[in-house]
Amino acid sequence: MLPDTVHKLPREERFAYAKLLAFMARIDNELTVDEMAMFEQRLGTALLSPNQRDLIREALRHPPTLEECLQDLHGQAGRLALRDAVMMAAADGTVDEDERDALEDISEHLGLKEDAVDQLLAWTVEGYKWMKRGYQILDNLEE
Amino acid sequence: MFPDDLGGRQPHELIHYVEILIFIAASDGTLVREEIAAIESMMGRAMIHPETRVELRGGFTQPVPIEQSLANIDEQLARIALRDSAFVAAIDGAYDSAEIGALKMIAEVANVNDAQLSQLLDWVGDGWNWFKKYKSFLN
Repeated sequence: MLPDTVHKLPREERFAYAKLLAFMARIDNELTVDEMAMFEQRLGTALLSPNQRDLIREALRHPPTLEECLQDLHGQAGRLALRDAVMMAAADGTVDEDERDALEDISEHLGLKEDAVDQLLAWTVEGYKWMKRGYQILDNLEE
Repeated sequence: MFPDDLGGRQPHELIHYVEILIFIAASDGTLVREEIAAIESMMGRAMIHPETRVELRGGFTQPVPIEQSLANIDEQLARIALRDSAFVAAIDGAYDSAEIGALKMIAEVANVNDAQLSQLLDWVGDGWNWFKKYKSFLN
C-alpha cells in the first residue's frame, strides 16, 4: 500500500521473503482472516511469478521450518521480511510467545540490534494508530 | 498496509474497486513498477480470487473508464477507493492534474468535498512519514 522496496529485490530473494511470511502466518497453527489478508497483501507487493505464488501458497498449507526459511534469507530481503513478519504477528492484535521467539531468532540471524524487534513492534503500533486515524477520517466525511 | 474492512464486500464490488485503482495509476499515461506492486498489494489485501486478478491485470494496458466503475459502487466503498487511490496516485512522487481530476471524480461519488479530500491527502503523507521510519531500525 505504501511505497516499498520489496519488488526491487532479486526474484530469489523475494521468494525467500515470502516463504518466511508463510512460516509466520502458520506459526500458531491458526490463520485469521486478518493474517491471511496481510499475507496476501505482502505476496502481492513482492510481484512473484505465478509459479512462485503457487509454491508459496503450498508453503502456507505445509509450512517450512524457520531454519529452512533463514537459510535463504539475508541482507535487505531479511530485514524487510522481519519488518513484515512483525506486522503479520501483530495483525491479530497480540504477539504470542512463539511469534516473539521467532522474531527474535530472525533478528539474531540478521545480526540486528538487540532491541530491533521492540522497535519494530512500537513502529507497528504507531502504524495501526495512523491507519485508525484514516478510518476516522473516512467515517467523518459526511458533508 | 493493515487489515481493512474490504473483506465484507461482494466480489463484483471488489472488481470495481480495483478497476478504479488501475485507472488512477494509469491516468498519468504510464504505469510504473511501483504502481503495479501497490495494486497487486491491494488486490491481495482484498483477497481477490487469483483468476479474477488475472482478468483485472488486463486493465494495466486498457483501463476501464472510471465513470463506469464509479457507477457501480456505493458511497462507503467510494471512500475506501478514494483513500487507496490517493496512495496509488502518490507513489510516483506527486499528484498530477489528471490524478487530481480522477480523485475528485471519486470524491464526488463518496460525497467528499475539497477540504476533506485535502485532509485525506495529508493523512496519506503522514503515512509515508511513518512508514519510512522502519529504515532507521533496520539499517
